[in-house]
Amino acid sequence: MSNDSTMLKDEQLSVESLTDPVWIRIRDLIYQVSGIYQAENKFYLLVSRCSRRMKAVGARTPREYLEFLTARPNRDAEMRNLLNEITIGETCLFRSMPQIDALRKVVIPSLAEAKKKFSFTKLRFWSAGCSTGEEPYTLAMILLEETQTRLKGWTFEVIATDLNDRSIAKAQEGIYNDYAVRNVPPEFMKKYFTPVGSEFRVNDSVRSFISFNRLNMLDDSKMLFMRGIDTIFCCNVLIYFDGKSKTRTVEHFYNALLPNGHFFLGHSESLYGISKKFRLVHFPGTTAYWKPSESTPKAGAP
Amino acid sequence: MKTETLDRLRSRISGIDAMPAIPVILRPLLRCLDQPAEQIDVNRIVELVSYDKSIAAQCVRMANSALFGRSHPVESVRTAVLNLGMWRVRDLLFSNSLSQVIPANRWVVDPSVFWRHSLGCALVCRRFAEIIGYPDTEKAYLAGLLHDIGVLVNCMIVPNEFRATVEKAYREHIPMDEAEQATLGFTHSDSGRILAEAWKITPDLVQAIELHHEIGDPERGGPLVALVHLSDLLCRLRDLGYGYYEPRQIDFANEPGWLYLVMQFPNLAELDLARFTFTLDEYAKEVGELVSTVFAA
Repeated sequence: MSNDSTMLKDEQLSVESLTDPVWIRIRDLIYQVSGIYQAENKFYLLVSRCSRRMKAVGARTPREYLEFLTARPNRDAEMRNLLNEITIGETCLFRSMPQIDALRKVVIPSLAEAKKKFSFTKLRFWSAGCSTGEEPYTLAMILLEETQTRLKGWTFEVIATDLNDRSIAKAQEGIYNDYAVRNVPPEFMKKYFTPVGSEFRVNDSVRSFISFNRLNMLDDSKMLFMRGIDTIFCCNVLIYFDGKSKTRTVEHFYNALLPNGHFFLGHSESLYGISKKFRLVHFPGTTAYWKPSESTPKAGAP
Repeated sequence: MKTETLDRLRSRISGIDAMPAIPVILRPLLRCLDQPAEQIDVNRIVELVSYDKSIAAQCVRMANSALFGRSHPVESVRTAVLNLGMWRVRDLLFSNSLSQVIPANRWVVDPSVFWRHSLGCALVCRRFAEIIGYPDTEKAYLAGLLHDIGVLVNCMIVPNEFRATVEKAYREHIPMDEAEQATLGFTHSDSGRILAEAWKITPDLVQAIELHHEIGDPERGGPLVALVHLSDLLCRLRDLGYGYYEPRQIDFANEPGWLYLVMQFPNLAELDLARFTFTLDEYAKEVGELVSTVFAA
């Protein structure tokens, strides 16, 4: 999306209401329902996104909007609309550099170290809720780089799943506009993309490492087959699930992961209160959830 | 560290003219602030601020900054102090008086990066203390603020070696204390402790400075050391560190300092750490504003 100018206008409109304490309550409600946290220094974004929804539903003040957002019957539908608004524009290649750094500098090296001991030389990543493919292509490019340098002789696969057939079809095409590739480092751009008109197509050399499949994460029978994964990415998907489905899905993710495997969420998403088995771990600039190996001592919280 | 090495370091530090002197206003300031918030004397703080023209000017400038968005300009020091609130004034006073410890041309690390880390750590440490119910939150703040003053000492007493240390840490992406141990044979915790003792800073703060990297036996330092240790780690993981990448994975719930604190303050077990971490990004703005006020002079 390239509507920075709209955002600016919205922001100007609501500068006065930026200090309204109701925003804090809206922020806390969003966190409670979805696990997405809006830091106070990014409040202008929350305000600008809410103002668009406020206009759509005809709420004049943040308080009115909060009422709309909490009252039946529109509650659930409006929360979904708001979450859509909040996560809009978050799908691009190389979206989160702190996550990518954590993968390249910490996760992959330690995975390789651990697997080498058992003479395993294959890595399996899963992009769950891959939408239109930005994430699995990013992961595949990073893994390709690794297997061409530090992990010579290793192979890998990226499993990409989504509920939506149209998203999967679009993902398989692998064609992106310049906005979607704006974060891609130039050397990756050169190596892994081919210009097609005004857009860019991911090269087959990357594509061949990814399998795209339709998968409903709430379908237990299908989820049971997902096993032996080293790293899972599931960004801005669980936020739409209710508590029970979230717990169940996270349990499936836990079982799908190998010991010492990592589970990455969106950059401001939290699993607080959802899983006691996963451990929250910190990397520079980002957090993830980690499945301890059996030999790891148990800790209290969180 | 070994007593013998420590003694050598101590005599080395005291034998050098460049030994950082305690800033004039720091001791009265520490005394003034070492009491419950409601008992702090505003007049005394205004007096301390007025004592130093450049600090007074900074208070006025900050009170007029965008952070406060006032419609009428603030002109008097008193109004500025009241507008900023005691804690922001205190931050300014501290970072200023500590900045005077070393001349501008002696910094080996970027001073604004140093203050970002120190102030960030102070804020995080206080917030942490509030959340778990540690009684003296201002002590926690001070401990966070002062924990790395040994870096200033190192800039003064071993500038060339310390430059090599910092370069090694940046190049090899290793923690500063590890690089110091390898190149200097002592760390900023050791030199900071000696400075703090020479300045007659209270023993619990001296311990926080001395032990914040040696958390092996948390009983020894008590909750304050554990708080500083964890806050320092969190800051370094959330863009309030020394500005280089430390590739590692931290499982806070399994850190010795954390396990120790959970026993002392059971609330900690219920903390939503992910959310706490996300809120740290909010501090970055406040810290940035403060640091740029100090360095705009």
